[in-house]
This record gives sequence, C-alpha cells and structure tokens, in this order.
Amino acid sequence: MTRLGLLRRFPSVEIAWQNLGRNRARTGLATLGVIIGVVAIVSLGMAGAAIQQQANTNLGSLTNEVSVSSGADSDEDGVTDGQVDDIRSVVVDADVVPQKSNATTLSTRSGERTRVTVSGVTRADVLYETSAGVAPERLRSGALLSADTAAELGLELGDPVEYDGTLYRLRGFIESDEGFGPGGDELVLPVSALSEQEHYDTVTVVAEDGNAATDIADTLEAEFNDEDEEILSVTSFAGTQEDINSFLGTLNLALLGIGLISLVVASVAILNIMLMSTIERRGEIGVLRAVGIRRGEVLRMILAEAAFLGIIGGLVGSVLSLGAGLVLFDVLTGDPMLVFGWESVRYLFYGFGFAVFASVVSGLYPAWKAANDPPVEALRG
Amino acid sequence: MAQTVNVIEIENVVKRYESGQGVVEALKGVDFHARHGEMVTIIGPSGSGKSTLLNMIGLLDTPTEGTVHLDGTDVTDFTEDELTEERRSKLGFVFQAFHLLPMLTAVENVELPSRWDTSVDRRDRAVDLLERVGLGDRTTHTPEELSGGQRQRVAIARALINKPDVVLADEPTGNLDQDTSDTVLTELTRLKDDEGVAIVAVTHDEQLLEYTDRVVELIDGRIQS
Repeated sequence: MTRLGLLRRFPSVEIAWQNLGRNRARTGLATLGVIIGVVAIVSLGMAGAAIQQQANTNLGSLTNEVSVSSGADSDEDGVTDGQVDDIRSVVVDADVVPQKSNATTLSTRSGERTRVTVSGVTRADVLYETSAGVAPERLRSGALLSADTAAELGLELGDPVEYDGTLYRLRGFIESDEGFGPGGDELVLPVSALSEQEHYDTVTVVAEDGNAATDIADTLEAEFNDEDEEILSVTSFAGTQEDINSFLGTLNLALLGIGLISLVVASVAILNIMLMSTIERRGEIGVLRAVGIRRGEVLRMILAEAAFLGIIGGLVGSVLSLGAGLVLFDVLTGDPMLVFGWESVRYLFYGFGFAVFASVVSGLYPAWKAANDPPVEALRG
Repeated sequence: MAQTVNVIEIENVVKRYESGQGVVEALKGVDFHARHGEMVTIIGPSGSGKSTLLNMIGLLDTPTEGTVHLDGTDVTDFTEDELTEERRSKLGFVFQAFHLLPMLTAVENVELPSRWDTSVDRRDRAVDLLERVGLGDRTTHTPEELSGGQRQRVAIARALINKPDVVLADEPTGNLDQDTSDTVLTELTRLKDDEGVAIVAVTHDEQLLEYTDRVVELIDGRIQS
C-alpha cells in the first residue's frame, strides 16, 4: 500500500509501471540492453581509472625529481664539485643530492653472492625510504641495502658489509619499489666510500612537486646549456608523467567511446521496443484519449515507461559494474577497495545518468507519436 | 423522464474524408439531438456513416461543416485539448470490444478516466458503481477473469465514473449473448432513468431497440425521417 500509495499520486508513473509488467520478456530484454551498455561504459571507465592510478603509483616517487648528469659537451667525465655548488646557488627550495655510482659483488660467509649497484650519497634520507632501520641525514659510516637483497643474503641490521676493503654496518633497508625509481639491488654508502672517483655521476634535485621540478629543470637548462652546447644533461620526469597522463586520458576517452556505442545500441533497442509497444497498444491508447486522458498524460506515461527501463537497467548495470570494478582494481592495482575512489566510482553515476537519459530520449518519439495520434484513428486500431 | 433540454445538438453536419478513391462524404448534412434521460439509437447499414456520427457526438472527430453543441456550448471549433476536457468531464464511452486495460483490476479500470484527478476520491465511487452493475464481488478481478457480460458492465461503470451527461455506446451488445445483453441493456435503461443521462447507441441489434426511446436511421450519410 505504501508503494502504491506513493505511486497513486503519479498516475502516469503508476500505469507505466503496470504496463511494464504486462510483457515481462520484452521489458527484460530492453533492460538487458541497458545493463550491457551501463556495464560497458562503467567498467571501461573504471579500467581507465585503474590504469591511470597504477601509472601514477609507479611514477609517483620520480615525478618531483630532476636528474643532472654530465652533458655531451662537458670536458669532465662527471659533475664537478664546482658545478654542484653552482646548482645549489641556482636552485632554491629543493634538496640537491650529488651521487657517485659503481657496482660490486656482495658475498656472505655461506658463499651467497649477488651483484649490486653502489651509490655514494651525502643525503641518503632525501632519496631513500627505509622499511627497517633509518636513513640518516648524514650517512658517515653506515650503509643502506635493498630489503630484497638483504633478505636474499640473509643480512640483518647491524651486520657488516665490505666495499673496497672497508666494512660498513647496515643501518637500514631500502623499501623495494616496484616502479621505475631507485630500487633493485642497491647498496648505499657514504660518498667518501667512492672517493677514488673525482666527480659525481649524477646530481638529484628533489623538488616540492612535479611543477617545481619542471621549473628547476628549465632553470638549470638555461643556466648551464645553450643551443649548441650541453654541459649538463638535465632530465625531469614530470614532463614524462604529463605525457603519460595525456596518453591515458586519450585512452580513457577511447574506452568510454566504446562503452557509449553500446549504450547507443541499447537506446536504439529501447526506441524500437517502445515504438512496437505503442503501436501494439494503439487502440488502448485511443481509449485512454477517448475517455478524456490528456495528451500530456499519455506522453508522460510512455516516457515514464522508458525511464523505468533506464532506471532499472542503470541500477542493475551499476551493481554489476561495481563487481567488475572490484575485480579490475584487484587485478590492475592489487587493491580492490581503490574502486571506491571518486576517480572510478564516478563512472557509476555517469553510467546510471547516461542510461536514464538515453532511455528517456529514446522514449520521446514513441511517446509523442502515441500522444498525438487522433483518438478516432487510434480507436480503429 | 426525458427533459426538454438538448444535451447534445448537431446541426447540418457534413464530414468529408480524403481517401484513396478521392473525397468520401460520410455525412451529408445531418441534424441530431438527444435530451437528458433519453436513449437514442442510431441504426443503418454498414458504411451509412453511423460510426462517423457517433464520433462527432463523442467529440472524437470534428465536422467539415456544421455545428456541434454540447450542454449548450458550441464546441465545433474547440482545440483537441479543449475537446479532451469536454470528453473527460461530460462524456462516457462504452465500446463493442469493451477496451478494458488488461493489467488493471475491474475497479482500477472503472476509475481510469479520473485516475489523473488526484483530488477526487474516486475509489469509493468506482466500488459503488461496480456494486450497482452487480459486480461488487469482482472488484479486484482482472478483465481476463471476467465474462463478456461482466466486462461490458465494468465498461459501463467506467463510462459513469465522471458523472457524464451523455454516454455513447458503440454496439454495446455486439459481443454478448442474448441474456447478457438483457442485463447490460437493463443497466443502461436504469442509468438514464435514475441519473438523467442521455444515451446514444449505435447498433445492429434488434433487441436493443426494445429498450430505446427513439430510433434514428442513417442511410448513405443522411437521416431518414
């Protein structure tokens, strides 16, 4: 009674609802079309969001960094102390971390051996995050090692590692990063450990964010290089991220476009079904008009039928899409709960909205046709 | 008893159609009237223009020439929306094929014409009307659960929901056997006597003529006097 009580206040809607129940198979098929359209739009949109999210996670630690190394036209085989000072004088509000690199083989008493990259830095805390132990601001005598490498070699905090004849105690383990950033098998030592190298291999400038990194890269480029001469090679990943984001945006639009096509197909199906249904009920609509039901009321009734198809299809489609989204995010990012982020959950609203909109638009012509059929013609059937 | 006031009055009505074979003149200058409490039956062979005349009286169609007055108002030049309002408030329809909505119960079918008037408490009146036509125990049945005679009585109840001045009946007994026809016709007679409703019927049914006050014969678009 409560449902009917509410519906009774909207007779067009109530009769529309009852009409849909008359031919369940047809109503079901029309709704199925909408469901498929909604699932296509929403899951493709969510897939785009998941890919974007995963790309951002992977790029995240890199985008605010500018990497500086010796340029093609430099007379030196690295970045000199003088150049580091120059960089420091140009760059404000960012950490400048010069770095020397080498490679070595670590071995344990039990005979396990593994090849690692050796990085000599002054400010380990700026570049590395540790999963155990600490990355001290000034790395003087200790060492950091990739957590994976440490596990492989059975090394624990406090254990000594030897490089170039000197022992360093492990002070922390570097969090392993699945992305493109510093990672892999890496041993981080005080810069003094690589003192036989005169110059730095790279200087990493860590800025506030991607935009600041781009500005710093531009400043350094202008300061050290000109059109003909590249003294320092300056690389910023912020631009790369912008490119990737722009590409992903395009990809996302393409995916949504494919989804939209299926909804267009669904709305053509609704148009067809509503048209057939109104032609079939022509005599009946003629009776309604004869007994004094207004044209607007007939129009609203048919539109309400179409809207119901969209609403039911949209709701069921959204629920199914949410399920698909959970699976997508689980596969693509490893965390199904990320699907509830606005970036992906908004596609549920878009999908539902498009479904109702497309259904009502599809209902317009049949509704208009039914409402404006002269009753005397309609009664003849 | 029949009053002297004409509730429906049609003067010199001509109706022409464009058809495949050129212009067809279905009504060739017809005068017709009906009073409150009067039952008028229109008879005539097929193609004589009976249905066209009934459509004019029922405001479902507009004349090419001539005038139509309903309850003293000239409705000849009314727009479709204005005609709809007139049908809604002053006319009731009973069709040969009943034309009940299959998904609605008897009582919902009866209240259908006034369904959109949310201010009216139509449910009580609909039940009351069904009781009057002897279907008080069938209110929640759907049309397919009812016999032909019961369906036509539901249709009569539907025609009365808006307290009409005129009820138009197109072959009301055309799909019914003789006994059922009697019940339906008795109902229509009671209706005009008790409520003062004018009833205009079109029929081939001889039986119906026994109940009627006046017979109008239409041949080839003209009234035979």
